[in-house]
Amino acid sequence: MHFATSFWQRAPSQRPLVVCFCLVSVLTIGCALLSLLIGAGAVDITESWSTLWGQGNEEAHFVIMELRLPRTLVGLVVGIALGISGALMQAVARNPLAEPGLLGVSAGASFAVAAALILGASAATLAMGVAQLGALAGCFFVMIAARLQGQFKDPVRLVLAGAALTSLLTALTSILLMYDQRAADEIRFWVTGSVAGRHLSNLVTVLPYFAIAAAITLYVSKPLASMALGEKVALGLGHNPRTIRYLVMLAVALFAGSATAIAGPIMFVGLVVPFAARALVGPDIRRTMIMCLPIGPLMIIGADILTRMIAQPAEMPLGVLTAMVGAPVLMLIVRAKRLPTLA
Amino acid sequence: MSSSTQAPLGTQSITLKHDDHVIIDGLDVTFPAGKVTAIVGPNGCGKSTLLNGLSRVHLPSSGHILLNGKDIHSMPAKQVAKKLALLPQETSAPDGITVRELIRFGRHPHQSLFKQWGMDDRTAIEFALQAANLESLGDRLLDTLSGGQRQRAWIAMSIAQETPLLLLDEPTSALDLGHQIEVFDLIRELAAAGKTIIMVVHDLAMAARYADHLIAMKGGEIVAQGSPKQVITPEILESLYGVHCDLLADPHTGAPILVNVRRAHDSGASKAAAPSDKKQAELAL
Amino acid sequence: MSLSHSSSAQLTPPSGYWLLRSKHMSLLLDRQAIRRNILLSVALLLIGILSLGVGTLSLSPKEVVLALIGQGDSMTQFVVNELRLNRLLAGIYTGAAFSIAGCLMQTVARNRLATPGIIGIDNAAMAFAVASVVGVGIGLAPSAMALTGAASATALAFIIGGGSGTRGYRFIVAGLAIGSVSAAVSQLLLSQVHIDTANEAYPWTVGSLSARPEEQIPWMGWITLVGMVVSIFLCQRFQLMAFSDSVMTALGRTPNRLRFSAVAISVVLTGFAVALAGPVGLVALVGPEMARTFAKHRGLPLVSSALCGAIVMVLADFAGRTLLSPIEIPVGVVTAVVGGPYLLWILIRKPKRSTL
Repeated sequence: MHFATSFWQRAPSQRPLVVCFCLVSVLTIGCALLSLLIGAGAVDITESWSTLWGQGNEEAHFVIMELRLPRTLVGLVVGIALGISGALMQAVARNPLAEPGLLGVSAGASFAVAAALILGASAATLAMGVAQLGALAGCFFVMIAARLQGQFKDPVRLVLAGAALTSLLTALTSILLMYDQRAADEIRFWVTGSVAGRHLSNLVTVLPYFAIAAAITLYVSKPLASMALGEKVALGLGHNPRTIRYLVMLAVALFAGSATAIAGPIMFVGLVVPFAARALVGPDIRRTMIMCLPIGPLMIIGADILTRMIAQPAEMPLGVLTAMVGAPVLMLIVRAKRLPTLA
Repeated sequence: MSSSTQAPLGTQSITLKHDDHVIIDGLDVTFPAGKVTAIVGPNGCGKSTLLNGLSRVHLPSSGHILLNGKDIHSMPAKQVAKKLALLPQETSAPDGITVRELIRFGRHPHQSLFKQWGMDDRTAIEFALQAANLESLGDRLLDTLSGGQRQRAWIAMSIAQETPLLLLDEPTSALDLGHQIEVFDLIRELAAAGKTIIMVVHDLAMAARYADHLIAMKGGEIVAQGSPKQVITPEILESLYGVHCDLLADPHTGAPILVNVRRAHDSGASKAAAPSDKKQAELAL
Repeated sequence: MSLSHSSSAQLTPPSGYWLLRSKHMSLLLDRQAIRRNILLSVALLLIGILSLGVGTLSLSPKEVVLALIGQGDSMTQFVVNELRLNRLLAGIYTGAAFSIAGCLMQTVARNRLATPGIIGIDNAAMAFAVASVVGVGIGLAPSAMALTGAASATALAFIIGGGSGTRGYRFIVAGLAIGSVSAAVSQLLLSQVHIDTANEAYPWTVGSLSARPEEQIPWMGWITLVGMVVSIFLCQRFQLMAFSDSVMTALGRTPNRLRFSAVAISVVLTGFAVALAGPVGLVALVGPEMARTFAKHRGLPLVSSALCGAIVMVLADFAGRTLLSPIEIPVGVVTAVVGGPYLLWILIRKPKRSTL
């Protein structure tokens, strides 16, 4: 008890990382289990539990292994990817509002996916590269736009640029979809974002991209921490800020693009997860990113469980739910007395 | 512009808060008519808050502000604007506005939808231009003026408002010495023409030289008020700013000048020296 | 130095104005504004006539004019007056309404980016209207629902934004958040209903002038007219919002009251316009911006904004009908394709000292 109080009274940056990580991880694992145990399909909790241990009938086995397990795993991967990409983007933009979804990355990916659908792909066999390319383009465009006039640090300007790009790309997507009713039908369910009905093979396709992105993240984490002290300091410590920035952008695009390709545009996760991580362990980028690992999946899987429970027997789209959670957090960030800069 | 001997502006136990933080608690103060009053004090003493309270920018949480004996918040906003003008510290004007256009905004309280332009407007604007010595700059863009000129243009806007009372919040804060003198000279001329002027001033020496009446504030309370000679004494300065200093008299105006300023708690030596300092100061005054 | 009221016998107006004067009133008319608005009106008229002539049955401007004044053959008259005129009027009314709303909102927030579309009013109005269309909630008509949505979004943005106009950015971000939640809700509603209903509602959610309920159009006209007249009446005091709150107070206006009236007009206009045309919010950005360019950034060009907004809307609809014919691009999509890059350009180019 005494330990617990002194733990919470400490400044976030003083809290022991291992303890925080373990606590949140336990929650995440709990959520993941819950996600396997409840949901659509006529399999109740006790039956699911015994199925997990190798018993149970054929049908229960199918529901758990073919429906719920992929869904949970996708949630896990997407959560990590979106959380980390948000943290990376905010660190490089030094702007707590920089989030792939808000900045038009998702819209870029959506546009690319719509284009791919028009050109004959179907949502199931969607080439990941397409979405990634779209994400990358969207991401670079906003960052470069904001960079041009040194507006990087003005949070609102960056977000507005993202909103402008998003509305432009959404409009272009609608034009594309007007040509093709089939694509329109397929994409309507994709655009709200979901981890349901995704196959494990989807996950396997994107794993190499995640691996590359993770490697880049590991590589840049140290220079990023020194860039937080200012680009000149980073230069003095022997890092090249420009290279670091481009690498980070690449990682963000790979993470966010793949996540979007699997799960559709899920907004605000990249905003909320690093925000929560910073609240727990302080602004150091390395600590933040480590905490994003359990928090990201926690948010996605948790939200996914809620979507199954709120509107039974139908399901509520995941993207809608994250927007409803994320928007208040966005307001919370802006509502703070002083807009926090990540300098 | 009437200048009665009765105080045109005063407060009745007003309390001003920023959020939940009380800045000024139950303050009573009156300002002498037809004089230049300067409110001085250390940073955060509540002088700007008081001025904002007087000019209705900051609503008091209790108490009254009396304008010619009537509660200012019970009067129609436009009526007050015909009696009391304010020049805030931070001023931002619309883009691409000329000096004359800026001054014309000062006529707003006197105009209405169907009375947009009359002889009185024209005369008031010409008068303001002339008073602020801006006749040759009337058609220049405000952005192209120097700091002192711009500040005079803003004061000219307040002049065009034709109010007997003028409140200024640090009118010279961002100006260099020459421009400061330029603005203070204008303020003196306005007082000579019968206006009652209340200003917040950071620079004690300028306040002492240009004001008739000083109000020294600290922690939301009035520490001393009176003529510059009454207020600028070593004791009051120590209680205000925590400094020791010597005072000399300005050879031309007789206004007190601060010299040899040092921190009060610096050393025992300076404390010991304080009484003799005081004597010297009294001699000087 | 002597200070004396210099008086000359002749009352001359400030330069650039005409003085209209009688015993009981004096009005100042901005010469440049009047010339500009006449030119814009003529442009709107020409574009309107041109757009009436385009369609499956293409008509020359002369035929259109003849049909409008009740001459020419009955077929042409039917096509012009019964089929196309309503759409044109809907475009003009909603364009003007959006644009006035945008101009006022920008003035209140002291930020040219703070248009109703960006701060989420459009999306909220749309979400409420979609709710009404797909039959969720109370059985109010779409326009009443849209107005409710617009008003609640604005109120929320103001409460969260701290109720102050001086900190525009907070207001904007709060609005962005509200807008994205509203958009999510619309998506949610559409994904829950039958695919055909969703398909029907789809062009409507991106903003379109096709298949508008005819009886709503005259209503929209009156509302736009009233909104415009009221804001012109209040224009003199709205101009003060370009100054800081202290200056506004010193000049005898209560800042919050000024803001409230401007926002109220803006919300009503946006709400009704969304109910008729859907969220075509970028008109609210482009219209006032055009007007300011023509006005060389002087004053508060409300009438010019209205005219520019109408022109943009009619042009966008015109382009949407002709560019990819026979496919019709909804007007909201056209304005987004034009307005999005424009917004980006505003953000990218060197910021001026002041935002408005």
